[in-house]
Amino acid sequence: MWTNFRHLGLAAAVTGLLAGAAPARAEDITLTYSDWQLAQTVWGRSLQEAFTEFQAENPGIKIRTEPVPLAQRDVRFTTAIRAGRGPDVFALDANPVRQYVAEGWVRDLTSYIAKEGPEYLKDFYPKTLEPVTVGGKTWGIPKNTVAMVMVYNERLYKQAGIAAPPATWEEFREVAAKLTGKDRWAFTLVLAPAGFDLRVSSVFRSFGADFLTPDWKHSAVNTPEMRKAFNYVLDMIASGVVPPGVAQVDANGARRLLANEQIAMAIDSTWTLPEVSDMNPKLDGWNVLKMAPIPVPAGTNPKVRTTLYEKSLFINKNTPHPDAAWKLIKFMTDDKRMRKWFDDNAMLSTRISVNQGYDKIAKADYANLVAGQIAEGDFLPLIPEWPEIQETFRQNLQAAVAGTKTRDQALTDAHTAIEAILARNPSK
Amino acid sequence: MTRTNLGPWIVTYAALAAMAAYNLAPFLWMLTSSFKTDMEVTQIPATILPHSFTADAYVRIFAQEGFLKYFLNSAKVSGATAILSATVGIFAAYGFSRFEFRGRTVLIAAFLASQMLPGVLLVGPYFRLLSTAGLYDTHLGLILAQTSITLPFTVWMLKGYIDTIPVEIEQAAMIDGASRLQCLWYCILPNILPGLVATMVFAFLLAWGDLLWALCLITDPDKQTMTLGITNLVGQFRVLWSDVMAATVIGCTIPACFYLLLQRYLVQGSAGSAVKG
Amino acid sequence: MRGETTTPYWFVAPAAIMLVVILGFPAVTAILESAGLGGKTGFPDFRAYGRLFTDPQFGATALNTVIFVGVVVTMHVVIGMAIALLLNLEMPGRWLFRVIAILPWTMPDVIGGLIFRFIFDTLSGGVNAVLLRTGLMAQPYDWLGHPHWSLFAVIMAEVWRGYPYVMLILLAGLQAVPRDQYEAAAIDGAGRIRTFVSITLPNLRTVLIIAVVLDIVWETRLFGMIYGMTGGGPGYATQNLSLFVYKNYFQFFETTYASSIAVVLAAVLLAAAMPYLRLTLRRQD
Repeated sequence: MWTNFRHLGLAAAVTGLLAGAAPARAEDITLTYSDWQLAQTVWGRSLQEAFTEFQAENPGIKIRTEPVPLAQRDVRFTTAIRAGRGPDVFALDANPVRQYVAEGWVRDLTSYIAKEGPEYLKDFYPKTLEPVTVGGKTWGIPKNTVAMVMVYNERLYKQAGIAAPPATWEEFREVAAKLTGKDRWAFTLVLAPAGFDLRVSSVFRSFGADFLTPDWKHSAVNTPEMRKAFNYVLDMIASGVVPPGVAQVDANGARRLLANEQIAMAIDSTWTLPEVSDMNPKLDGWNVLKMAPIPVPAGTNPKVRTTLYEKSLFINKNTPHPDAAWKLIKFMTDDKRMRKWFDDNAMLSTRISVNQGYDKIAKADYANLVAGQIAEGDFLPLIPEWPEIQETFRQNLQAAVAGTKTRDQALTDAHTAIEAILARNPSK
Repeated sequence: MTRTNLGPWIVTYAALAAMAAYNLAPFLWMLTSSFKTDMEVTQIPATILPHSFTADAYVRIFAQEGFLKYFLNSAKVSGATAILSATVGIFAAYGFSRFEFRGRTVLIAAFLASQMLPGVLLVGPYFRLLSTAGLYDTHLGLILAQTSITLPFTVWMLKGYIDTIPVEIEQAAMIDGASRLQCLWYCILPNILPGLVATMVFAFLLAWGDLLWALCLITDPDKQTMTLGITNLVGQFRVLWSDVMAATVIGCTIPACFYLLLQRYLVQGSAGSAVKG
Repeated sequence: MRGETTTPYWFVAPAAIMLVVILGFPAVTAILESAGLGGKTGFPDFRAYGRLFTDPQFGATALNTVIFVGVVVTMHVVIGMAIALLLNLEMPGRWLFRVIAILPWTMPDVIGGLIFRFIFDTLSGGVNAVLLRTGLMAQPYDWLGHPHWSLFAVIMAEVWRGYPYVMLILLAGLQAVPRDQYEAAAIDGAGRIRTFVSITLPNLRTVLIIAVVLDIVWETRLFGMIYGMTGGGPGYATQNLSLFVYKNYFQFFETTYASSIAVVLAAVLLAAAMPYLRLTLRRQD
């Protein structure tokens, strides 16, 4: 009896909401899901399969997918949400999450999570919950996470007579020299905006340096560790072990170089294996590419030595169907789907039980390694000002690379600018 | 006699050939890249002509990535923008050109001033407007947006062309009993055909190449324009360069064909000599 | 003419209504936002304008914009005029050259920037490939990594892409130059340059002014090409005000600051353009 009433009520409400929409049964809810990975061949197919299963299990809900280019994602989302619209469920990486929460664009999920019981959140790595938890409330559910590691080409290593990947930055220098030759380089940095966040910060962190103090209230750019890291990176560029034009290389470009065997190593993560192998089948990437932790300066053991990437799902504040949206998010982050994301895309999950319990992950060396590194990594500062701080730092680093500023000048300018940005919004 | 006349023609054709080389150079790069495999496009050192010629990129963009739909959408939106913008624009341009009226200067300055704000700021509030009007995620909404962006430019351009037509022609026609509208249709339009062509091409190309407005106002993948389609090829993990090149090559050829049809009207009208006689 | 007091308004109305409704509301909203209205507090807050004075990036970005627009528009006019004159001549095969002349302008916004970035790429780009192969250079050069050469590259790309706009406007304007004036000049024995200066230019005056003003407005607003090519880098060497607004608005979520930059930019443009526009508004005789 209650089910009938519920169906009637739902039908009435939804009919009202769907006036003018495409013809559908009166009980159908259409959820829009927007994600930048929908446009990619493998990921897109993987997500569509998941949606088909979801729709089969939930006959009243239809999913409409809206792919969006990654570089323009925030432009589209913010414009729509500001105007009271936007996709019902969408994905974000860790960078803009605090902004979205601060602007009130995502829905508070605490009550939904409470209904799932106290054990629900315990399965997620506590670290992965940090970006989506503000003011004691949970605003999104983390879906995938990986740590940045050093990916290297074992075949090129063997050709150069190198036995193992460098564990320290001092060893790195020798190894890099051996791997550099005609039209081939040892390594590349990613100094262009796309991918800078994860890859350069992890290098700096391995030196024990960071952009902000742990409380995120002040700039840490003027510390001796940062100075050492900064100088090391600039020396690396000057020594020629990275390709010329490195200031233009973005994450996609770095993977290209790796796929074409023009570089022997790069900082990346688990997705490198499927992507690079697909880019160049002759490379035999699954066998040739291996992973290792990012080197550290000899004799040091920094607590935070790499950067974490995370993709999380959110419900739009404006959505007319929050319950259905929650069902979708729960589905996309449940145990079975987490295994699917690994099977299809080599993406690690944010669920401890899956990363440790799924036999395919346990058997894959690279997955094991990256999962282990999650504990040794951290996210970039989770404050709304972070995108601007990062851009300032990146611009100053590029200026130092291009020679328009001396290294000290670049660091000082970055420090001053970051302090100014933080001073603008002192309330936290 | 022939030898002395040939000199200037050789210079002219040489200059035009230089222009053609200048214009076509990047397109040649795009064209050759579109026929390379993804690996060869990004190879170091770069190759100029494809070593392994393949038309896979073209097959892919139509078969897998659905670009036929995107090109049609773009053509529809851009064509409608060109026509609407020119139509509304020519009325306003005529009004500004032939009449002195109160608020003329302020109004026309306001027209241009509206364009001096970057589109970035206008997208958000415009989206809100569309949403209220129920035109969100429709081609009509996008057409209206593109038209209003081009309108100040088309009005200004058309006014400039109408200004070159001497008033005497219309005065003669009105003495004969023609209304203003008839003046516009019979006296002005035939004589500013070149200007009209230039204006319509401008409006078409502006809508054709736009990314920001299409990105924000269209979310349905089936309604996407070509620019959105190409941007989607730049993924999180890799860029399908040969596909991007192939789609852009076609994306540039289509407006060129459109222009090919119109350029015959870019010829001397008869207004110049009609008045003096 | 008598009895035509309301006629002009009928002609102008459709365009005016469209603009007021579609652009007026957003434009006013943007200006209000720049003064901090429409935000959390209800009071106007001009702090964002104050920040313009202290932000070193703003000054450098404004300078870049001036250089960029100045060089690009000048080149557009020079090349555009030259090509328009050529394409005005009657000759066999003119249609082909006319179509080729318009091609650069068909390149879309951001995507054109991406493609040019690829062309200028140090290792796999066309520019270096050609230079290396023809022996003009020994090592690949990092064009987009150098603060001055990157600005040069961005300017060159935009000159290439945008000159057909001016060319087309001028070509259409050339069609309206009365042929008998040319004939009279030829009878008088005037040379090519003399004819150009005394007959062509005066007849093109209005159209030329409009083309220049519109091109200046257009190039000031442009950010797609730069965004795709360098993202404003290296550092902020190629950043122009439009890109600066974009970054502040969509990446840093500093909407008030972005709006204030845009309003200042629009005000400066309007002030600079008005005297020239007034010239075109004077009644022709």
